Amino acid sequence: MNKNGPLEYDYSVSKLFIMNALFVGAIGMLVGVIIAWQMAYPGLNTFLGDGLAEYTNFSRLRPLHTDSVIYGFVLSAVWATWYYVGQRVLKVSMAESKTLMLIGKLHFWIYFVSASLIVTSLLLGWTTSKEYAEFEWPIDLAITVIWLLWGASIAGLVGFRREKSLYISIWYYIATFLAIAMLHLFNNMEIPTILATSPAGETMVGAWWHSVSMYAGTNDALVQWWFGHNAVAFVFTTPIIAMIYYFLPKESGQAIYSYKLSLLSFWGLMFVYLWAGGHHLLYSTVPDWMQTMGSVFSIVLILPSWGSAINMLLTMKGEWQQVASSPLIKFMVLGSTFYMFSTLEGPIQAIKSVNAIAHFTDWIVGHVHDGVLGWVGFIVIAAIYHMSPRIFRREIYSRSLMNTQFWIQTLGVVLYFTSMWIAGITQGMMWRAHDEFGNLAYSFIDTVTVLHPYYTIRAVGGTLYLIGFLMFIYNIYKTTSARRVEEDELQNASPMGA
Amino acid sequence: MNKIYLWGIIVTGIMLAATGYTLVETAGGKKDLSEVLSGDIVNTLAIAGAVALVIITVFVVIKYVRQMQVDTAGGELTEDSWDDIGEYHNPIPTGWAIIFLVTMVWGMWYFIAGYPVNSYSQIGEYNEDVVAHNAKFEKEYASITGDRLIEMGESVFLAECKVCHGLSADGIDGKAADLNERIGLLTVKNVVINGSNNSLLSEGSSMPGRDGLMNANKDYAPITDAEIDAVSAYVANGMTGEGGDVFAGACASCHGVDGKGMEYVAPNIVTYDMNLLANVLNHGKKGVMGTMPAFDRLSIKQKEAVSAYIISLSKGE
Amino acid sequence: MFHWLEKHPFFFALSVFVAIAFAGLVEIIPSFAQASRPLVGTTPYSTLELSGRQIYIKNSCNACHSQLIRPFKSETDRYGHYSLSGEYAYDRPFLWGSKRTGPDLMRVGNYRTTDWHENHMKDPASVVPGSIMPKYTWLYTNEADIETAYAEQLTVAQFFSVPYNTPIPMKDGSSKVIKMADSIAEANADALDEAKVIVADMKDQSIKDAVANGKIPEIVAIIAYMNSLK
Ligand code: HEC
Ligand code: HEC
Ligand code: HEC
Ligand code: HEM
Ligand code: HEM
Ligand SMILES: [Ca+2]
Ligand SMILES: [Ca+2]
Ligand SMILES: [Cu+2]
Repeated sequence: MNKNGPLEYDYSVSKLFIMNALFVGAIGMLVGVIIAWQMAYPGLNTFLGDGLAEYTNFSRLRPLHTDSVIYGFVLSAVWATWYYVGQRVLKVSMAESKTLMLIGKLHFWIYFVSASLIVTSLLLGWTTSKEYAEFEWPIDLAITVIWLLWGASIAGLVGFRREKSLYISIWYYIATFLAIAMLHLFNNMEIPTILATSPAGETMVGAWWHSVSMYAGTNDALVQWWFGHNAVAFVFTTPIIAMIYYFLPKESGQAIYSYKLSLLSFWGLMFVYLWAGGHHLLYSTVPDWMQTMGSVFSIVLILPSWGSAINMLLTMKGEWQQVASSPLIKFMVLGSTFYMFSTLEGPIQAIKSVNAIAHFTDWIVGHVHDGVLGWVGFIVIAAIYHMSPRIFRREIYSRSLMNTQFWIQTLGVVLYFTSMWIAGITQGMMWRAHDEFGNLAYSFIDTVTVLHPYYTIRAVGGTLYLIGFLMFIYNIYKTTSARRVEEDELQNASPMGA
Repeated sequence: MNKIYLWGIIVTGIMLAATGYTLVETAGGKKDLSEVLSGDIVNTLAIAGAVALVIITVFVVIKYVRQMQVDTAGGELTEDSWDDIGEYHNPIPTGWAIIFLVTMVWGMWYFIAGYPVNSYSQIGEYNEDVVAHNAKFEKEYASITGDRLIEMGESVFLAECKVCHGLSADGIDGKAADLNERIGLLTVKNVVINGSNNSLLSEGSSMPGRDGLMNANKDYAPITDAEIDAVSAYVANGMTGEGGDVFAGACASCHGVDGKGMEYVAPNIVTYDMNLLANVLNHGKKGVMGTMPAFDRLSIKQKEAVSAYIISLSKGE
Repeated sequence: MFHWLEKHPFFFALSVFVAIAFAGLVEIIPSFAQASRPLVGTTPYSTLELSGRQIYIKNSCNACHSQLIRPFKSETDRYGHYSLSGEYAYDRPFLWGSKRTGPDLMRVGNYRTTDWHENHMKDPASVVPGSIMPKYTWLYTNEADIETAYAEQLTVAQFFSVPYNTPIPMKDGSSKVIKMADSIAEANADALDEAKVIVADMKDQSIKDAVANGKIPEIVAIIAYMNSLK
């Protein structure tokens, strides 16, 4: 290794994760589009024929959608950026250490194999039912290994670093690592049923992969939503903030607006986030005080969340011409805006009386998707667009394709969340309505059939988003053989073809 | 005016208009927005929240977009730089800092002093709600009768019964009883052959099966297959056609010559009556078509109303 | 202080961990202390019911159906008494759900019956026009996995002292025993006995024949589970 010359970063692990993010992202969103159409037209539950209906119906596919976009698409992108940003802001190259490289490769390949197992197992219906933690114990173990490998990579890169102090993005990656490790362990405490012995002395009874949760009923719910809420926080929020804190200033060439603001937002978020999980259990059988805690901290949470978004928007102060001309920056600016929207929407839905209407309805699904499509999706897309020219040393194939993609996907998100917003409020109010005699005004099915138009609009919105995503993949694919670029073209704004 | 404000107003306007439209369309026949919102504090708060969400986000974002458009970046850079990313020493935005502080203080206060630890429970809130609800409707509808009662019954029917009996109460191709007629052929025949034990009169009353049914006109000979067919058709057709003599011989002793039943002995099998319907709702009913659950969660008034509705369908009494 | 932490990754990580772990300690530990005790009248699941519950989970019915009745007049009117913590004492995992694309099922056993489920699960829209619930046709041909249900009973009895084969007090003062078999063969036989009671109310001849031949189609198990929800 040349000690004096400029560092040659090695992006091979990053590249693998990018490929995977594109591939699994497309599949996960395709499944999302399928289930969205199934809700509008239930006949599509058998779209591959009656014989395969068991594997193609809504309820089998829904966990496949959520898990593949969360753990396939988003986590892959998180790791792609980790193996890219980590090297650069810590000033270490993966090429400097064979061990680091081995860890990175193992990290990817074990993850890749596990992901295939997850898809298969979900299609077979091997699930524990816990949202976003559906996996049975063998996969839980694999996830633990994958996570430890990532931890080793963080420890390695941070340990070898040449940059004394840690950049903001690194704070967020570390927080992601720690929080998910803790959540994963506690939410997956389960006993494999093959450990039991029957009075007749029979052992290994029944399916080998089946397990029983360590917790029952209300306690189980409490642990699950402590996990669920924070899995959202530490997969859909902190690592995405890590990304935008690197890619926005880097792409725009602007300095971060305020160090102090980033500091306060970070520690504020760390401290407040975990308390808010109770908002998933409002009006349930968990104690009242815990529910109230969830509501109160959700309101407080607006500020540390908005802090990061404001810091990003202010970083672009005076730079409107960049926003106007670069689709890459557009993704990040609109992404921050959607982040603000969903982190205000969430707290509002966490107010007990609002949750009385919103809980169990499509308004929550709307909230989810303006976060994941408008914030997570857009930032991930921007990150991959920024990394590709640097990894492949080629310009992005087409700016106009990118612009078209941006507008198509924006329209998709808007259709998605407005339709779900209206559907949710409609349904929530219809459930509550009493007629003039004091009887329920609607039977349940009345509250289902009114939603048909909204489900259709949502499906159209989702389809548009998927089309945009496919354009993205095509653009990246063509980038690998586009015009070669020199190092100095890569300082800030990414080079793009027409 | 700047284009961006126009967009903000358009987006806000569309979201709010769509929400308002939805509310009026779906709030149980209420006529306008104020009526929808005045009844239920939960509705009011949810809508207030939704409105605040759109307005706040749109206008805060516009504020920052304006800064992108007209302001210039600046400030003192810190000495650090990572991969050429710098950081300014700029102060924390005051508005943000103040609101953060306020919410923190409010949060602490709420927990220590504001939260009604001892006086609030969601179950307590529910109980009060139920009392208020019942008081309101009992006062208004405790004594309704006639067409109003039938109207009320229809609303119960649509919410509770139509999943099994169908929108038009026709029983969905024999999956449940067709309530537009007192009784179907299949049911009668089944009851005559197998007897019936559904507490239609009261707890414990039952009808014997074919082994226990003798035709008095034929020296009390057990009822034959042909007689079963004939009498079933006779009953199912509303006591017309052949089989009248079998009925007179084997059934009238309990159900009465006209089939209208006898108190404490056998139920009316020509038309529905309040007593029979009350028993079906209280005990459920298991027959050839399937099993109907008991409906103990309906109030007495609701049961009375839905019974009145069913009687009106079959023009019973 | 923060700037110092940013230069000392270990202490940085430690501080982050303390900040995030703190909430968990405060929120979760106290509620575990008052472990969820069963309500009088709450019983563990029988073998066939538990098998049905596993089928419910396998097909992610919880993606569309909740099992949590909130204390609102509108919900208790629609679904029955609001949920109580003790009723979930034997629910591992809990199945509250987070989305009601379909109605709550916490007490569906009170107001829907075997024959209705039989029609509904095969083709929901045939009984409820406009229903968007999928047809669960394969439940009529797949066989229920009784052995795994039995394994789960053994597990909860051994590791969590769930009271099988012990009298459990009921609301009316009587008591009830939920049986857990001594061997796989006995568990299969018990489940078959339960299945016979269910199919007596069913119409589909092929299901009746299957049970008569000692097989238990998944639909029978899931109906047993639905009927147990009260
Ligand atoms: C011993 C008295 C007795 C005789 C004789 C008798 N019934 Fe009944 N019947 C009853 C009683 C009691 C019931 C109510 C059973 C219940 O509660 O399920 C009943 C119920 C019925 C019902 C069912 C009503 C419903 O809503 O499901 C029909 C139909 C009926 N009887 C027809 C007949 C016919 C036809 C005959 C003669 C062939 C007959 N019964 C003879 C006592 C009698
Ligand atoms: C889960 C399905 C289900 C629901 C819900 C239901 N029913 Fe039924 N009902 C049935 C079935 C099945 C039968 C036929 C039983 C038989 O075979 O005789 C029936 C029979 C009846 C009968 C007896 C008809 C006769 O002539 O014997 C009446 C009356 C009735 N239902 C009224 C109601 C009312 C009123 C409601 C709502 C409050 C209601 N049902 C809800 C399934 C249902
Ligand atoms: C796509 C969403 C969806 C899935 C998945 C789904 N359901 Fe449903 N379910 C509905 C809807 C919508 C209704 C209301 C309309 C109806 O009765 O069909 C319903 C109604 C029901 C009802 C009637 C409850 C009542 O109170 O009327 C039962 C029971 C039921 N579903 C059981 C199940 C079971 C068991 C599964 C899984 C094997 C399942 N559902 C999967 C959407 C779904
Ligand atoms: C201040 C920040 C936030 C708060 C206080 C918050 C609050 C909430 C609330 C109250 C719910 C509904 C719970 C229910 O009634 O079922 C919810 C659901 C959800 N939110 Fe947020 N939210 C926030 C930010 C976000 C962001 C940024 C995302 C994603 C990018 C997100 C993703 C989700 C998801 C996936 C769910 C669905 C959980 C489920 O399956 O039920 N949230 N959130
Ligand atoms: C192509 C675009 C997409 C479409 C059409 C789509 C569609 C859907 C549908 C139909 C549901 C089920 C809603 C319900 O049960 O009512 C859903 C749930 C969900 N989706 Fe998507 N989705 C898309 C993209 C994404 C992406 C990119 C992510 C994450 C990065 C995501 C995360 C989720 C989550 C977390 C849920 C569960 C929400 C909840 O339980 O509340 N989706 N999606
Ligand atoms: Ca697990
Ligand atoms: Ca959910
Ligand atoms: Cu949450």
